[in-house]
Amino acid sequence: MTKTKGEISPVVKLNYSKGDLIIKEGDYGTSIYEVISGKVGIFVESGETEVRVAILGPGMVVGEMAFIAGKTSTRSASARAIEDCCLEAWHPAMLLNAYKKMPDVLRLIAGQALKLVVRMNKMVVELRLKEGQSRDSQTQELSDQWEEKREFYRKKVSLECIFRPVNSSKDLEFQGRIRNISNGGLQMTVKTSGLFNYTLTHGDELFISTYFLLNQKANMTAKITWLKKGKTDGFISLGMIFIHMDPDDRKKLGFFLMK
Amino acid sequence: MTVNSQVLDYIVSEENFSDKAVIIKEGNMGDWVYVILEGRVKIKKKTSGGLLTIDTLSEGDFVGEMAMLKWSNSTRTASAVADGPVVLGVLDSVRLGQEWEAQPTIIKKVISSLIQNLEEATKKAADMVVALR
Repeated sequence: MTKTKGEISPVVKLNYSKGDLIIKEGDYGTSIYEVISGKVGIFVESGETEVRVAILGPGMVVGEMAFIAGKTSTRSASARAIEDCCLEAWHPAMLLNAYKKMPDVLRLIAGQALKLVVRMNKMVVELRLKEGQSRDSQTQELSDQWEEKREFYRKKVSLECIFRPVNSSKDLEFQGRIRNISNGGLQMTVKTSGLFNYTLTHGDELFISTYFLLNQKANMTAKITWLKKGKTDGFISLGMIFIHMDPDDRKKLGFFLMK
Repeated sequence: MTVNSQVLDYIVSEENFSDKAVIIKEGNMGDWVYVILEGRVKIKKKTSGGLLTIDTLSEGDFVGEMAMLKWSNSTRTASAVADGPVVLGVLDSVRLGQEWEAQPTIIKKVISSLIQNLEEATKKAADMVVALR
């Protein structure tokens, strides 16, 4: 942890004895704590009782939910020392600037995760209170045919490529990105602005080159079997089947073609 | 809810799923993130007694964000299943990953902790549902 020069340290070490309340549900507060030693229990109030929803140990962070939710929200749960413990308290200012600078997307994603944690904790509390009652209606039977359609680790497939229609002049060249590839064909996304005025149609044959790891290059010829205009402006998605690929190139791409 | 314009900028491709199609399967590897452009998606958690629906997401919501923000690995924490026909936008995982990695350690720690809490709360809820049967 780095300390800011010339200012009061934003980090304070606090010791709590077993049973002490660290955070009270419903309070305003955005300090964040890291557990240094000992154990902290997280409790949600329900009527007259408190239901424990989590136990946090050294290295874990307490109180981040109110911070992520923003300064106008109250603590969604209480934190209590369930054994003697030492916590490091961080002043929220220390985090606020960095948090504000985060790309919107990451903040939105964190916000969604937060909503789900609150919901799950609520569910745990409800279930705890319902314990002893009969089966829950929210479960359903597992099915054996329950399989994800995608058969490979998709993240690996994001290859820049250049392509040109087979029957066009050699100096015509467009850029695309291969998003999906299998033994039989591939899926590619193309920015429409990158096509200038050229129109791709069903049945077009394209000559495609892609570079990947260690400057390896692979060439292939494929035919468009479907075209989709995205709801997102500016992109089209192409489904293609291979017409030709050299065995050597096929070998190079083998990693992607494997199921 | 509509899709945030900043989010639209991250979309690199779109995928269509029919009703009940499995979008993400719990336990599989993968850390790409989707945003729902049209339709609804159910998030389901495996329990020894069957599947527990923990959330229903709609337009503008993210799918698959937990694996991306996890500290440890990219194993999917829950499954995502189409509830009617669904159109999803695939977010640029390279860009998102780089932006996430570029965040200060303390921010990553705070958000990863949130995700860890989410995983634990989800697992706990799932276990309790089974215990109640």
